[in-house]
Order: sequence, then structure tokens, then C-alpha cells
Amino acid sequence: MKQTKIPVDLILESMAKSAEDAQKRVSKASDVLLGDLNTALATTPYEVVYEEDRVKLKHYFRSETAENKLKIPLLVIYALINRETMLDLQADRSVVKTFLSEGIDLYMMDWGYPTRKDRFLTIDDHVTGYINNAVDFIREKHGIPKINLMGICMGGSFCVMYSALHPEKIKNLVTTVTPTNFDTEQGLLHVWMRNLDVDKMIRAFGNIPGDLMNLGFLLLNPARLIIDKYVGFSENMDNKDFVENFVRMEKWIFDSPDVPGETFRQFIDDCYKKNLLIQSKMYLGGKRVDLKKLTMPLLNFYGKFDHLVPPEACEKLVKTVGSKDVEDICLETGHIGIYVSSKIQRQFAPKIAQWLRERDQEDIIVRQAKTARNLPAAAGRQKPPAKELIKPSSRRRRQPAAKSKSSLMQKIAEAI
Amino acid sequence: MPEDNKQNKESDFPFPPWLKASMEVWSNITKTIPKPDFAEAEKQSASNNRLAEQWQRNVNLMKSFSKLMSEPEAAATAMKAMNTLPEIIFKMAKSGWEASFQLQKNVLEKAGKIRRHTEAYNFDNIDQETFKVLTDVYEKELRQYFNIPPLGLTRFYQERFNKFLDKQNTFETKVAEFLSIIYLPIEKSFKALEEKLQAMAKEGILPKEVKENYAIWLKILEGHYMKLFQSKDYTDALHDTLEKMEDYLLAKDEAMRDFLQFFPVPTNKDMDELYKELHLLKKRVKELEKNIKSA
Repeated sequence: MKQTKIPVDLILESMAKSAEDAQKRVSKASDVLLGDLNTALATTPYEVVYEEDRVKLKHYFRSETAENKLKIPLLVIYALINRETMLDLQADRSVVKTFLSEGIDLYMMDWGYPTRKDRFLTIDDHVTGYINNAVDFIREKHGIPKINLMGICMGGSFCVMYSALHPEKIKNLVTTVTPTNFDTEQGLLHVWMRNLDVDKMIRAFGNIPGDLMNLGFLLLNPARLIIDKYVGFSENMDNKDFVENFVRMEKWIFDSPDVPGETFRQFIDDCYKKNLLIQSKMYLGGKRVDLKKLTMPLLNFYGKFDHLVPPEACEKLVKTVGSKDVEDICLETGHIGIYVSSKIQRQFAPKIAQWLRERDQEDIIVRQAKTARNLPAAAGRQKPPAKELIKPSSRRRRQPAAKSKSSLMQKIAEAI
Repeated sequence: MPEDNKQNKESDFPFPPWLKASMEVWSNITKTIPKPDFAEAEKQSASNNRLAEQWQRNVNLMKSFSKLMSEPEAAATAMKAMNTLPEIIFKMAKSGWEASFQLQKNVLEKAGKIRRHTEAYNFDNIDQETFKVLTDVYEKELRQYFNIPPLGLTRFYQERFNKFLDKQNTFETKVAEFLSIIYLPIEKSFKALEEKLQAMAKEGILPKEVKENYAIWLKILEGHYMKLFQSKDYTDALHDTLEKMEDYLLAKDEAMRDFLQFFPVPTNKDMDELYKELHLLKKRVKELEKNIKSA
């Protein structure tokens, strides 16, 4: 029988070297961890321009002298799970900063931290209540009939619902990692949610605790999110930049507001269990959410490796809406990677800005026509109504982005 | 024969002589207490009189009890009743021991089966016998004591508290089971890593770096987790754990309500009712505001 030759000496030598490296790293890491660390997130300046209950509307400052300014403001609606600070995680990877430098007049909804008193708030309260009021506020402030709307994850679903109920107020719709088709076996979340006794859950918890949901998300990939992530941290904890970025990410991930009970119930029952949204059978405040009424231009982003909202949950939307100007973009990343991965950053936010810019010019004409009809206050400033331009029909499908070697932070972002 | 029986009963039951002696002592003490002087008694406070009366009543009660207990038949009956108490305690202890032995036996059996059951990437019929036995033991042997119907004025409070303890135990058992399932892929991944390294060693391509070994293990582990999460057993365990957690929280809330009401602090139920009313009122106000604006 042939004996296997194992290079024991080499293995031992390698282990000794690893131990030596680790010792050096720990020594240097103590300087980093005990020193001053800049781990602040969401540092781009803004002002709160509208408040209602726990909800705040942030308005970011853009350079008013810049030449590339877009005329129609953009309202970003984040999910009720985790916080919108993810879009401004760090200066060199901030969707907010990119939007501002691209000349977008940016508003963002901060859902705040729901308390027990918010447990009876439904999706209807969020969509036709808070979102509608914020949209009306921006329309009135700018004296325009329509604004641009962008939704993220569950916030995207809310935007789809809102735009279907109020197409007259939305100029362009951007949906990112937005679940609309819940009848899929691709994501574990979809499989697990289907058999959830949501009534009992609401009775027991009131609001759904953010920590409980976070635990659920960690359990979707424990090897990466509970083990490898921290092994990666220990290997790089002597690198100040890495530590700062890592801590920022940790701060964001575990900053999880609770989800109002009734909203959660409605989302699970109507969407995850009955899949009503994509079938245009969902009702909000007694009104049917008919996706055929989504006649505005639609840009739909999703992640190829998104295990929370898999491609199958997103890609049906463009085929269902009434608009002819739709575009589907599938990026080779995960759920959060779209917003925080430096590689994807270069494709994502600039693409949105460019897409909006192409439709911003058209809107001036539309705006003048609509303003004349809908907003009597602006009538004094109106120009003669002009014909709406014919929009390009670009039913483009998936545009896979190139994949390069990922950094650890990127890997983490993709694993989420 | 009846005489013998009587003798036996007396020897079985040592209390009559002790009762007799104790009775004599207390009677003598009572005798030493001066008889009440009515003129003096009027001067005494009402509470002192009541104390003397109560003392006399207790001595009389003790006398009659002693007399009764000196009858061997009565003493034997009382003894029999008292004997049932240790019987109950013994029965409880017995079921506890049996449960413990059963569990230990199962754990040992499971320990012997560890290697046999660690089959890579296979999570069908997860071997969770230990936890099934633990749950079984709890449900069959121990839970019954929480279900003894409480009596009296505080019965509902006791019932709610017992329910809370019961649900807490059930939840803890479920959590232990769920954690053991979550640990399974780690157990299996080490076995799979061992096999893989053996195969690599045979080919002479054994990784030299610790990092390489870690990367191989992590990939195996991730694969195992993905496989586990898709299994029905895992989904069932997840839902079951969540359900037991909810049962526990609801029971805790109910038991807590009793304490909070006692203090008095508004309970979640009280606040929820208030919040609901507030929510509906706010909605109406907003609707009215809109109507006024648009009018």
C-alpha cells in the first residue's frame, strides 16, 4: 500500500508564521482599537423639512450654483426594516453624495423608530398617509404636479403601491431590490414567511422587534454573517480604515427599528402569503392597487445574488405595469451590495441620475402643462401648454454588470 | 385479636403519649393563670380580655383534639392521611428520577450514534431524539403538576402563573432543540472536512496554510447550512420555536398583568386599547382636516 506523504514540516512552519503574524496584528490592532476612530455614518448635511408623528422628511443640501441640476426633485423611500442611513454609510461610498453631485434635489423619508403606539399603523397609513403627505409637501414646495420617486426594498413596494394609486403625482419611478412577486421558492425568506402564524406573532410582540428580524437575517447565512465576517475583522483589525468601515457597517446593520405590527401583518398576509400586489388584487384604504396604472417611466434594479429579495421577486414588475418606458437592471451583487459596494456604486447611483436626467428635460414641458391644469397657485407663472414628448420605449432587460475580485467589505455587503 | 390490633396501632403511632404529656403541661400552665376578676376585668382593655378568651378556647380545642387522638382508631386514620403526603412527594420524585434516567439513557445512546448520523449534506430526518425525549418527559411527567387546578380566591392568579412557568419550560426546551439543529452543520462540516483532507492528502495536495483549510471548511459549512435551511425539519423547528416563544411571551404578559395591576401600573393591554383609540381618532381628525381643506 502506497503511503501518503504529508509535508508536516511545511505545515508546522506555516502555522508558526501565522501565529507570529497574528501576534503582530493583535499588537497593532490594540493601537487602532484604543485610538480615535471615525465611525460616524450619515454625515451628509440635511435639514428636516416636514415631520409627522415619528416620520421625518430630510432634505439634503445640494450646490445651487451647480450647472448639472435636475429640475424635478427625487424622494427616496427606504424600507421599514433597518434605516435609510445605509445610503450614506461613508463619504466615499455614499449614494446620497453621488446623487447630490449629480445635481439631484434629494429628499429622503426617515421612518424613525416605531413604538408600541404605532402598532396599529397599516400599510395604508404609510402609503396613502405619510408618503402621500410627503409627496404633497414637496409638490407644493416646488410648485410642481409630479415628483420623482425611488423606493428601496419594502419601501420600493410601498412606492409601487403609491404610484399605482396616485400616478398623477409621480413623474418617474425607480425601484431597487423591490419585492413585488412573492410567489417564489428562490429566497428562503419567502419560504419561511409563508407558514408564519402572523396573527399570533402580532399578539405576542405588538410590533415586530428589529432584533428578532436581524437574528432571522443572520440565520439566513450564519457561516458568512456570524463566523467569516468576524474572522475577516480579526484579520484586518490592525487596519484603521477597515475597522472604521466595518464598525460603520455594524452600526447600520444592528440599528433596527421595530416594524409596526399591523403593517407587518398586512405585508405578510397580502404579499408573502397571497401574492396580491403583482396580481393587482391588493387593496389599500378600500382602493385597488392596479399596476396597470403605473404608466410613468420605470427603472427597476435588483441583485443577482440577493437572497432576501431574489431576482424572481423583482423582475416580474416591468412586465406587469402599464408603462412602455421600463428598464430592468440586474447587478451582480447582493441585497445591500447595490448601495454599499464601491464597485457597484460606480454603476448604480450615476445610472439613476442619468436616467432621471434624460427624463427631466421632458418633464419641463409636461410640468408646465400639468401645472397649468392642477395648481392654480402657479398659474401666474405658467407658460402656454405644450405637447408631452413621446418617451422612448426601452423595454430593456437585465444588464449584468462585470464581476471583479471582491474585497472583504464587498463580500460582507454581498452576503447580506 | 382486637386487643392485639389495638396494641399494634398504639405502637405504630407514637403521638398519643406525646399528646397526653403535652396536654398535661399546657393544662398546668393554664391553671397557674389567675382566674379573671370581673371587677378588674372591666378595667382591662377589651384586647386583653379577648386574648384570655382566645387562650382558653385554644386550650379547650387542644384538650378535645388530645382526647380524640387518644382513641387508636382515630389516630390510625389521621396517620393514614398523613402517610399520603410523603406518598405524593415520593411519586413526584419518582417521576422526576425516571425522567432524568430516561434522558440520560437517551443522551448516552445519542452519543454513541454521533458518528453514524453525521452524514454530509444530509438533513433528512434529523436525529433529534434527545430533545423529543426531553419534551416528552416534560409533557408527560412534569407538566401535569402545572395543570393541577388551583383553588380558592387566588385560583386565577395561580393558574396564570403556572401557565407562564409551563410555557417558559416548553420554550426553553424548544430553544435547546433549535440550537442543536443550528449546530448540526458545524458537526457535519468537520466530518466532511476530515474526509476532504484525507482525500487531498492521498493526492498529495494537502493545504499548507491554515487559511486555506479555513476557506475549505467555510465553504463546506455554508453548503451544509444552505442544505439544512431548505429542509422541512428545519423550517418546522424554526416555526415551532417561534410559536413556543410567542406562547411564552403571551403567558408572561398575562402573569405580568396581575403584578402590574396590583401596583397599579398600566399593562400592555390597557395601553394597546388606548393606542388603538388614539390611532382611530387621529385618522378621523386627519380625514376631517383634509375634507375641510378641500371644501
